[in-house]
Amino acid sequence: MAKPADIDLSAILGRMQNRREFIQLLGRGLGYSALATVLPACGGGGGGGSDSDDDLPQVPAQSPVPKPSAEYTVLKRTSFGPHRDELTSIQNLGIDNYLEQQMDYLGINDGSLEADIQALFPLSTQTPLQLLGGFPDNIFDVASQMVAATQYRQMFSKRQLFEIMVEFWSDHFNIHLVNGLGPTLKPYDDQQVIRQHALGNFRDLLHASAKSTAMLFYLDNFFNQAVAPNENYARELMELHTLGVDGGYSEFDVKEVARCFTGWTLRFPGDPGGDYGEFVYVDAIHDKQAKLLLGNSIAAGGGQDDGEQVLDILAAHPSTARFIATKLCRRFISDDPPQAAIDAVATAFTASNGDIRDTLRALFASPDFLADADLKFTRPSEYLAGVVRALAPDTPYPPDNGLFWFYVQNTLGQLPFYWPTPDGYPDLQSYWASTGGLLNRWRISFLSFAGLIPGVDVIQIDYPAMLNGADTIDTVVDAITDAVLMRPLADADRGVIVEWLEGELGVTADDVLAPTQPEQASALVAAVLISSVYFQLR
Amino acid sequence: MTSGDNIAAHPSIPADRDILVCIFQRGAADGLNALAPYSDANYYVHRPTIALPAPAPGNPNSGIYVNDDYALHPALAPLKPVYDAGDLALVHATGVPHQIRSHFSAQNLIERGVVEKTGPTTGWLGRHLALSPAASSSAFRAISISGNVPVALSGAVEPLAIDNLNDFGFDQDILDSGYPEVLADLFHAGVPFAGPANAALAAMEELQAADLPSITPDNGAVYPANSALGAKMLQAAQLIKSNIPVEVVCIDSDGWDHHESLQNYIDISLTELANVLSAFYTDMGAGMARISVLVYTEFGRRIAENGSLGTDHGTGSLAYLMGGGVNGGQVISDWPGLDIGDNEDLQITTDLRSVIAEMLDKRLGGTNVATVFPGFSGPTTVGAFLD
Repeated sequence: MAKPADIDLSAILGRMQNRREFIQLLGRGLGYSALATVLPACGGGGGGGSDSDDDLPQVPAQSPVPKPSAEYTVLKRTSFGPHRDELTSIQNLGIDNYLEQQMDYLGINDGSLEADIQALFPLSTQTPLQLLGGFPDNIFDVASQMVAATQYRQMFSKRQLFEIMVEFWSDHFNIHLVNGLGPTLKPYDDQQVIRQHALGNFRDLLHASAKSTAMLFYLDNFFNQAVAPNENYARELMELHTLGVDGGYSEFDVKEVARCFTGWTLRFPGDPGGDYGEFVYVDAIHDKQAKLLLGNSIAAGGGQDDGEQVLDILAAHPSTARFIATKLCRRFISDDPPQAAIDAVATAFTASNGDIRDTLRALFASPDFLADADLKFTRPSEYLAGVVRALAPDTPYPPDNGLFWFYVQNTLGQLPFYWPTPDGYPDLQSYWASTGGLLNRWRISFLSFAGLIPGVDVIQIDYPAMLNGADTIDTVVDAITDAVLMRPLADADRGVIVEWLEGELGVTADDVLAPTQPEQASALVAAVLISSVYFQLR
Repeated sequence: MTSGDNIAAHPSIPADRDILVCIFQRGAADGLNALAPYSDANYYVHRPTIALPAPAPGNPNSGIYVNDDYALHPALAPLKPVYDAGDLALVHATGVPHQIRSHFSAQNLIERGVVEKTGPTTGWLGRHLALSPAASSSAFRAISISGNVPVALSGAVEPLAIDNLNDFGFDQDILDSGYPEVLADLFHAGVPFAGPANAALAAMEELQAADLPSITPDNGAVYPANSALGAKMLQAAQLIKSNIPVEVVCIDSDGWDHHESLQNYIDISLTELANVLSAFYTDMGAGMARISVLVYTEFGRRIAENGSLGTDHGTGSLAYLMGGGVNGGQVISDWPGLDIGDNEDLQITTDLRSVIAEMLDKRLGGTNVATVFPGFSGPTTVGAFLD
């Protein structure tokens, strides 16, 4: 696991925990009374609010959540949330063709996205040497730009499956960004290890990760030398990156692997022969004795190749195939995926020598992939990007360079590159569907994405386009449900929302609304829909 | 009720139960430099560079004399008065016996209260709570002050996970809009995640009535600034001193995985831990009579230092017990010795399950050990608690 962070960003963030303070920090606070302009019936100390349930309909004890379409489920599982254009696209192409198109991600025109990221977040793609120049004063800038670049791609890239796999491997090969020299090293790992190989070959990805100086630093291998091995990387390499904790290795194997990687380190400032932050193998501190790993002999007298051999043995090991397959099925199907699916995916992984696309093809071809919907509670990154993609897919990038989203995702507990330990953010729904997790989503839904944080036009939502002339509560609810939720709502749940709006707006469901009311009602409907369980499940 | 002194008269918690605060040291905390076995010569053989010096007057870096065998790390000095008052016991060479050295697997095992993968997936604390009747209908029976429910609490009825109790709720504008009632109706019984959703809504109402921000530390207690652990313990204190009948609070302390430069890092970690526990003890005052604090970790570290002056993953470690009901002022240990021989680790001679079983029995209103710790054959007492 990781050593403690030298600089505690949470202390910096702690200052922004209060939403109003945060808005003041942005210098754009308009005062909370502006709520009244959006919520005429309930803001500003007027009437209309109610603490009793009397004016709400009684809901039957059992009312199942109607299932969405298969196309919706595919988008929910392989993208950061359905986008209306993509839903149309997958309906036209068919699921198989859509996924195949996503797999060939370089063939998808992403417009100016990467150029935009270069312009908006230049630190996120710089080399260790470049970043060292501004270190440590640039730590927060690097961190915030890395987060913002990640969020930007998740929200706006058309290469959604690729970005899902980038997130998957970022967790699998997790590195805590604000950790010692991490801020100078992780951006390069993000570009050249994770993004380079996310839909490539696992063996290549593993080798790249082992030579990633961000990883060598994070897991202490730069300390690892013949006279005094450090086992940290060796253990996590087998437990987390390849075999899995039940993959059949022993404490003896941990020690042997550590010996194989002695001398794998990074070039520090002033070291000869190249730039700071590059991978370097130092033969003088390498353990030259013979090693024995999982029954494989590694002859005495070796050098850097000892470690390369270890990586090849691990990449080809059946336990690795099972472990990766299980994690992929857990990501794309459910927390406890069917064994048949895992077996099929593991077989494809082995047969293709770790080709990630072939492995995913086997997963998507498994009957278990779409056998049922709503099997999993989304993680915060999917919630956040999903809200933008559903409500305002064409929103201009906010003028605060993503600081608001940084704050939101931190509150939700899944800030990219901030998980401290090498296992990455959990991929189990019980972890995320907590009381605190739900309340945070409700608050963010209600305040920000329905446009209710005064002065913060984080996203611009085009309600008139969604409404398409709808002018009663009944038609507004249906129009916004179609546009935002893209899946059917149970009659009882629809009734709850309709009756609420009737109370708030003081009209009945089929009354023609006053000219400004449809948009006001839309904001409330959108907020409730993205707070509901319908939006959280995939 | 805003004073810890009144906790003894807490209206909603049965007299036979303490309030339990569990602190989990994530990352496998070293016990050998926290409570150094300075009389064991092998300690200095295997940690030639990083060992804690034996108590020596005039050397501020030396250990604090506890008895002829053990010395506290000087960073733990704030806990010495608590120890001397008989409210702190230290259990050495403890843990749960298994061969796992993965943080994640070991945390999972110890939180589930088992020593192998098979067995219940719920947590020891969750099962204990499920067995013992709730003292009230409060949503706050069991809470983790974090964003997520820890495995140890899994199995309890809707344990809460709230990372900031002072900022958990809706603003008045939203309350007035009727939005919470709409959420309650949409998350009705049968809907996935209706449990945590309704627990969140109920917790919100209770917190609004309790006004935690108005509850400040008593008796001059000062929680360390810029400490995540301190901020959480302060919240635990506020919660306990409010009228909310909380029974169990879980808190994580992060950053104990000291593979390198152990001396530097453990000094930082122990300083924080000691100052936070000491502040809480002061804040609670006489209320400590009704509070038990357990501090534990997933496993200890190797006896020998490694090449980067840290330690790698080991087995036995140190647990801390604090409270009025603790049989304190003693080190509880059947010292295994540090003669490495075939073993590189501090051997476990006191099963942590024995310690916890005794705590649940004597301080938490009784328990069913067979359910809480399946397959555990005892002993179920080590003399760590008062009846």
